[in-house]
Parts: sequence; C-alpha cells; structure tokens
Amino acid sequence: MSIAEKMASNQKQIAISEFFEKNKHFLGFDTLNRAIITAVKEAVDNSLDACEEARILPDITIEIQRVPKKKDHLILIAKDNGPGIPQKSIENVFGKLLYGSRFHAIRQSRGQQGIGITGVVMYSQLTTGKQTYVKSKISSESTAIEVNLGIDTRKNKAVKFSQERVIWTEEDQIIEHGLMIRTEMKAKFQRGSQSIGQYLKMTSIVNPHANIKFRYVNSDGEIEIDEFWKRATRNLPTPVNSIKPHPHGIHLGQLQRMLKDSEERKLTSFLRQNFSGVSSRAAKEVCTKAGLNDGAKPKLLKTEQINQLLEACSNVKFLPPPTNCLSPIEDLLIKKGLSKTIDSKFVTTLTRSPRVTSGNPYQIEVGLIFGGSIPSDQQVQLLRFANRVPLMYQQGGCLLTQAISSVDWRQYGLEQSGGKGVPKGPATILVHLASTNVQFTSEAKEAVASNEDVLQEIRKALLELGRNLRRHMKKKKKMAKAQEKFDLINDILPAIAEKASSLLNKPIPELSATISKIMNAVIMEQTTTWDKETKTTRIHGILYNYTARPRSYTILMNWPEKQGAIMVDNERGGRKEATGLWAWKIETLQPGERATIEFGLDNLEKGDWTETEVFYRGSAEVIGASKLDEKILEEIKKQGSDNLDEDLGIVNEIDETISNVASRAEIPNVNLNEVQKESFQTTLFGEEEEI
Amino acid sequence: MSRRREDGETKEALHQIVNEMYKKLEKGETPTMTLPVRTKLNIDFDKKLGVYKYGKKKSTRDASSLGSAKNLLRALHMVEFIDEMIDNGKSSTLREMYYISEGWGHGKFSTQNESNNLAEDLEIITSSMREDFRLRPEEDGSRIIGNLTINELNRRGEWMKINARDDVGDSGYGVPYNVEEEKIKLLDHDIDFIMAIETGGMFDRLIENGFDEEFRCGLVHLKGQPARSTRRILKRMNEEWNLPVVVFADGDPWSFRIFGSIAYGAIKTAHISEYLATPSATYLGVTADDIVAYDLPSDDLTNKDIEALKSELSDPRFADGYWQEQITTMLKLGKKAEQQSLAKYGLDFVTDTYLPEKLAELGLA
Repeated sequence: MSIAEKMASNQKQIAISEFFEKNKHFLGFDTLNRAIITAVKEAVDNSLDACEEARILPDITIEIQRVPKKKDHLILIAKDNGPGIPQKSIENVFGKLLYGSRFHAIRQSRGQQGIGITGVVMYSQLTTGKQTYVKSKISSESTAIEVNLGIDTRKNKAVKFSQERVIWTEEDQIIEHGLMIRTEMKAKFQRGSQSIGQYLKMTSIVNPHANIKFRYVNSDGEIEIDEFWKRATRNLPTPVNSIKPHPHGIHLGQLQRMLKDSEERKLTSFLRQNFSGVSSRAAKEVCTKAGLNDGAKPKLLKTEQINQLLEACSNVKFLPPPTNCLSPIEDLLIKKGLSKTIDSKFVTTLTRSPRVTSGNPYQIEVGLIFGGSIPSDQQVQLLRFANRVPLMYQQGGCLLTQAISSVDWRQYGLEQSGGKGVPKGPATILVHLASTNVQFTSEAKEAVASNEDVLQEIRKALLELGRNLRRHMKKKKKMAKAQEKFDLINDILPAIAEKASSLLNKPIPELSATISKIMNAVIMEQTTTWDKETKTTRIHGILYNYTARPRSYTILMNWPEKQGAIMVDNERGGRKEATGLWAWKIETLQPGERATIEFGLDNLEKGDWTETEVFYRGSAEVIGASKLDEKILEEIKKQGSDNLDEDLGIVNEIDETISNVASRAEIPNVNLNEVQKESFQTTLFGEEEEI
Repeated sequence: MSRRREDGETKEALHQIVNEMYKKLEKGETPTMTLPVRTKLNIDFDKKLGVYKYGKKKSTRDASSLGSAKNLLRALHMVEFIDEMIDNGKSSTLREMYYISEGWGHGKFSTQNESNNLAEDLEIITSSMREDFRLRPEEDGSRIIGNLTINELNRRGEWMKINARDDVGDSGYGVPYNVEEEKIKLLDHDIDFIMAIETGGMFDRLIENGFDEEFRCGLVHLKGQPARSTRRILKRMNEEWNLPVVVFADGDPWSFRIFGSIAYGAIKTAHISEYLATPSATYLGVTADDIVAYDLPSDDLTNKDIEALKSELSDPRFADGYWQEQITTMLKLGKKAEQQSLAKYGLDFVTDTYLPEKLAELGLA
C-alpha cells in the first residue's frame, strides 16, 4: 500500500469514528442509559416495519443481559418473526449507514428517526470491540443463515467473520422466518420513565397488533423482569401509499433535485406530474406568478428561476394532498392498547380526521385514562408518539406537550396551577401525531417542532376528551349519590328499626312506607361485571319503585352489538330498539316492587365492555338512568347511523365491531361525511381551496 | 358534677328519644330526633339564673340522608350502652365509648368528636348530665394554689383534707373531674379573691413570685378553654365562699371566649349553664386598652382572629357596652398580645406593677 493510500484509509478510519463520536447525541448514544434504549428502538422499529411490509403479525422478543464482572456491559438479544433478510442483503442492512429505501418516499414511516441498526453494530464494536451476531431465516430457504458481523471502518462496510447455515428451532419448533440479533455494548440498564420497559410498553400501546416480550437478566443470571404485552388486535396497520410531494411542502434543495431528474419537457406538465394537488389551471398560475414560460424546460432552470418558482408555489392555492398515505392507529385500538397496559377505571380516545399543514398531511390521535391505580398526587403521565414511535426525551420542548399544557384541565376535573402546564391527577394522556413529514426540533428527533395548525388540532381533540372525562365524573357522582340512598335504606334504616324495637321491647315495624317516603323515587341499580368462569360479561339491573304510586316504564340498555357481542341469558326477552340498543317493557310496578333485568354478553374479552348505559321511557324520573331522547333515536333509526353511542352521549365503550374497524381503516378519514363534503364543494364551485 | 337524677328517670328520658323514632317508623314516616339548636343564634339570657341558656329553637334530625340516619342509629346504640352501664353499675370515659362503638356496625363513630357531640346532644335532649349517663371525660381539671382547704373523698373512700398551699407541691392541687359535694367539700379559706389564669407559664410566674400570699388570693390554672369541672369549682368557690373571681388571660379573641364561658356559659354547654357559669366573674386583662396603655409587644390579628372578633360582636353574651368596646378597639388596633408579653418590663413587672394596678381598678388591692 502506498503512503498516500494509507493516509487516505487512516483519514477515513478517523472520520467514521469521529463522525460517530461527534454526533452521538443525535444518534442517540450520548449516555449509557440512552444507548441501550436507542439500540432496542432501532431493532424494534426494524422488526415492526419489516413485519408491516410483509403483512406478518409481529412477535418481538427483547432480552437484556448484564455481563457479569464487567461494569456497564449489556448484551441485547432481539428476536422477531419477520420475513428475515436474504443472505446477500445482510451486510448492507447491518453495515451501511443510512441504507434503505425509505429515503425519498413521502409517506408515514417509523424509520424517519435514527440512523438504523448499523449504528448499533458500530457502537457495539467501538465500545466493546466485539462483533454482532445475526441469524436470519427467510421462508423460501430451508435453513437459516448465521453471521458474525463487524464493520470495516476503513471501507465503511460490513465484514462477515463467520457464516454458517443452520436449522433454527425454538422450543422444538422450526422457525419459518425471522431475525435474531445478539450484540454486546457499553450501556447501563435503568428503570423508570426513561427505560426499555417504558419504551416497549409505549410501543405496544401504539402497535396493538404486536406481541412484545421483554426480559431482563441480571449479572447473577436471574430473570428480574419478565413482561409480555399481548396483541390487542389481529389487524395489521393499513398499508400506506406513497404520495407525491405537495407544492406547499417543498424545499429548495428537493425542488432542484426533482427538476434536475425530470424527464418532462414543459414546466406545467412537470408540475402536474410530480406534485399532488396541482391542476392544470394551478400549474399555469404558478408559471405566470413566477414569470416563467409555461413551456420552459424544467431541466434547464437556473437557480434564480427555481427560487422564483418556489416563491410562486407558496402564493398559489392548490387542492390538498391525498391523506390516504396516513395510517392512524384508530381510537378503538388505542383504547385497547391503553387498557391492557395501564390499569384504570375510565378510558376515552379519539382519532381526528386527517388535516394538512404546509402541504403535509397529518392526523392527530389522543387518549386519556383516568382513575384506577394511577397515583393522584403526581403530574399526569404524558405518552407522546410520532408515527407510532414513542418519544421519551425532551418532553418540555415538544409541541405535543405544549398542546396538553395549553388546555385548562381544571374544568375537566384535573388539578393544574393557573390553568396552564402539565396537569396533576390520576390520569395518563396520550398524543399521537401521524404525518408524512414530522418536523422535529433537532436531529435527536425526540421533540416535535412548533406548528400552530397542529397545536390547535391537538387542542381540539384534547378538549373533547376533557368533556368526556367531565361527563364520566358527573355520572360517577350521581351514582355515588344513589348508592348512598341504597346504603341508607338497605343497611341503616333496618338497623334503626331493629335497635329501637329491641330497646322498647316492641315488634319491628314494617318499613316499606318509610322507605318510599325517604327515597320518593324510582331507582335503577345496574352493574356490569366479568364472569371469569364462563367468559361472559354479565349485566344486572334492578328497577325499584320507591314511590307511593304504581309506575310503568320501558327500560333500554346499550350493548356492543356491532362489536360482535352475542346477547345471552336474556330471560326477560324484550326487543331490539335500534342497533346496539335493547328495550324491555316493564309492566306496572306497584309501590315497593322491583323488576330485574339480566343478560350476558358472549364473544367479548375481559375489559371490552365495562360500563352499560341505561335509558328509560316513562313519565317519572329514574335515578341511575337517563331519559331517552326520542328525537335523536328517530334520527338514528332513519339514518341507520353508526354513531348511535356518540349521539346518545355515551362515552366509555367500544362502538365498532372488529370487522368495521378493519374496513374503516382502509380509508383513514374517520368522519367521511365531513371530508367528502369539503372536497365536493371545491369541485362544485371550481375553486381550489386549501382545507 | 354529680348524678342529679335517679337512674330510672335517666333511662326513661333516654327511652323517649327511642320512642320518637319508633313512633315515626310505626306510622310509616321518617324517624327523627328533636333537639335545641346549638349555636349562638339560640342562646338567650335567663334573667332568673343570670346565665345564657338555649332558647326555644328546635332542630329536627331525620333519617332522610345517610349522614343523619347514621347519627340516629348511633344515638340508639349509645342509649343501649348507657342502659347497660346503669344496669351493671359501670361507668366509662368518653374515649372508651368511642372505642366501644367499633362494635356498633353502621353506628360506629368515625371521630371522637362525633361521639362527644352526640353525648352532649343526649344530655340536652334529656336534660341530664353526662354523669347521669355514667360517662366521664378523660381530660383532667385544673390546678389550684392558695391558702384554701378542701376535703376530698379518695379512692379508698376516706375523706382527705388538703390545703392548696401547705399540702401540695409546686404544681398545686389537681382538680378531679367530679367536683360535686359527694366528692369534694369546700372547708375553709383565708383569701380575698380567686384569680383564674389562662396559661401555665403565667400561673407558674405568679407562684414563683409569691403572688398568692402577698395578695391573699387563690390561683386557678384554666389550661386554655376550661373543662367543665374547672368552671364548676370556680362557681362553687364563688357561691359557697362568696369570693370574687377575676380572669387573667391573653389579650386575644379566644381569651374573650374563655371569659364568656366562665361568666355567662359556653354555647356548647348552654343546657347546664346554671351549674357552670359564674355571672359575677370579671375580666382583668389583658384588655385591648392594655396593649396600648402598657405598650405591649403584640402580633397582628390573623384572618381567623378577625373572623372570631366579628362573630363575637353578634354574640348575645358580648352584647354589653364593655365588650363591644373591647372588641371594636381590638379590631381597630389590629393587634393581640399574650399575657407573657408583660415580661418586656422584667419578670416582676406583672406582680409588682401590672396586676396591682389592674386589681386596684376593681377595688381588690
């Protein structure tokens, strides 16, 4: 080797380790704790993306082992059931920085963040000098390939150290396809809010289709943590389409590159072919405003002219970009994800319609959990996500946090000093931003950058959750009041009668008249419970007439019909009033009499249905039930509306069947009517308007 | 205080409460318990007795809400408990009863304050005293020092003669919770008046300075808001020995209330004011005027203090000119002072200057 060559290779060697060293804060390896989280993150993101593309339901296992007798050395083992990587691609996937196809595609993807698994291999090598073990099996081959990889820092390329074909079995089962990585690195294992456990838990909430296992083995070889977050749905996220860029979201560099690569001969056709939302009228308008000829050859535009073109783009109205490039999680699945990971009493979630800001489609999803085991004297826990990836650092500087802080949560029953900032109380708030282009505050990609449109959109969503929470608390209060009355007549009054009688040596008087006088109301007592034995949700209701007059009612209850629940053991019969609403006629109830309504719901899982709403039709008020609004019911029946529950003001239950969600998920617009109306109008009046 | 009633009478009166509830239940109505309103809005001056007593305003507690229904149930349990004690010749402290209520199911008390209040309610409804119920407080009475002699029945059932100057240590004679005739006889004295003192610090200061001998008085330590037995023994000494009673307290709204309960009767015990109150007692100080006249170190009134003073302005017990003036002066001043602030001028100032001057105003020195 010549001296010059040697020098060149030396330079390169220095350059790569220096690059890593200098940039480790935004590569995610700046602290020992963060290094292991970043490594897990890269592995999990890769697995989820690969499974999604291959349409496989992911089973992911993460294991962390403390290396005995070595300070701050951890082994990471990540395993998935993804498609695997063909033998010839392994070196590229693990050995080249920024390898992948996601770079220029405009669509929602996880992989916008981090430098990929290569960074992990490199960090391992730099801190321990060890190679990374990879085992991969693709379904078209009969054996798996095992490789030990290092990175040749001189050539910036992966080096295979050994390579072998093996039969991969786990627990006597032959693995059809999958990938396993084992790597050792200098890192620190930590618990708490910035830990692997928290990261995986959050990942499982926004990826409810994944099974995620996590195990931590300490330096004595004992398993200290063994967690399993089970999938809540078997529906994979909707496949996302790539879209062309929108003229309002384009940057100079990108525009230059596109012009350089263009094949079109005319500027107008370049604009129409390569961008979304550009009509021929709009294309002409851009050219006029830019002072350019319609027929100018795109390839030959000068920098000056490109600047004029860009300027013109921002002054012309276009049709909004299509939003089917987004894949929201859907509120029902967020609810399931939250319920399974956090024990609580109340969950409310919301997926907003997609919106556009500066040419980029985005969509907001929010969730709020309240009560249960969540401590009430601490700040509310915030779960922030961008494109299904948990954000764990820089909470304070993040747009999602700002949106939460901007809401006055005091009116919804949470504590908050001055009506600003992160509230206090037994709650957890989730915000998910899905977008083709998530703008972060820095390369670390842990905090979303300010954007007024997005902020207002999140606020709107959170206010709705707040209203749901307030409604829930009101209802709870009402129920507590009714419960007090029950305690009074069931426990205290009989005790008074008994004690008074025994002190006076007299017979115990009949209490029904006194009870009617005290209660002077018709009361509905209702419980929804889970029967472990039969795996049935049991609904039990008793209607008491504690008034001096005979009463008759029709009692109605909502039930998750569309979710696929099957009504069983309904001995009172009754009839279907509307989809998801059952009615029972209660014939005359004499003073002091009661009527029981009982039924079970099969085909549901535990936690799917925890609160049943009771309505009544009749003249006198029923404590513990709401009067049915006939007008709304009529509307619902006429339209066959899917939103019965929302219209009736029901908050906490799942109002979609599993199959509905699946079909709905293909069109991410939750509120189809609204969006279609908007786009219909734009064509009707020939106006091109931004949403 | 002693039992003033026959046991049969007490039981009968208690059973009237039970009867009221039972009758309502029999008629299909909501059980009730009727008792006088126990606030300052319902205390009237009894000209014959010279003290404040509950007026005619009644309130009815009924079982229509969970809280008051529980209260009714507790009352029944308490009646049963008292019945049993009377039948078995037992007695218990209020605190013991609170713990015994653990076994009363839904009728259990959640705080001792609740049980104390209910015991008072029953006293008022039945015009009995808690001694009639075989209930006694656990708080002890006060301490007395001075040349006065008392005969007390001790635990062995023997009468014991005690001189509160010669037969006691520095802490003085301890007043038992029962100070009635059957337990304590007032034998003899060689003093000119009784001085009731709010704080222990001042009580000890006067003893150390030999004030009781020099000024021929008996010193009684009130320990803040005085217990029933303290107020009762003050009244007995005042009536039986014909000794004037002066009250020496801090200069703040709460001291005014202490004096009010000694002289006119406390709102909480207005049903037995004639046994507890000493209408001729006078307030010696510290007055609002003293704070200015003696230039005493003082603290600003807190919001609570101001509230208390304002409430006293409309309290019938403080309706006379002297108290209205004292209260408005203190409000205007915005200041309060402790007894011990007199130490600003030295440890002997209180006994050499302040008290002689104040007593001279009253013609007692």
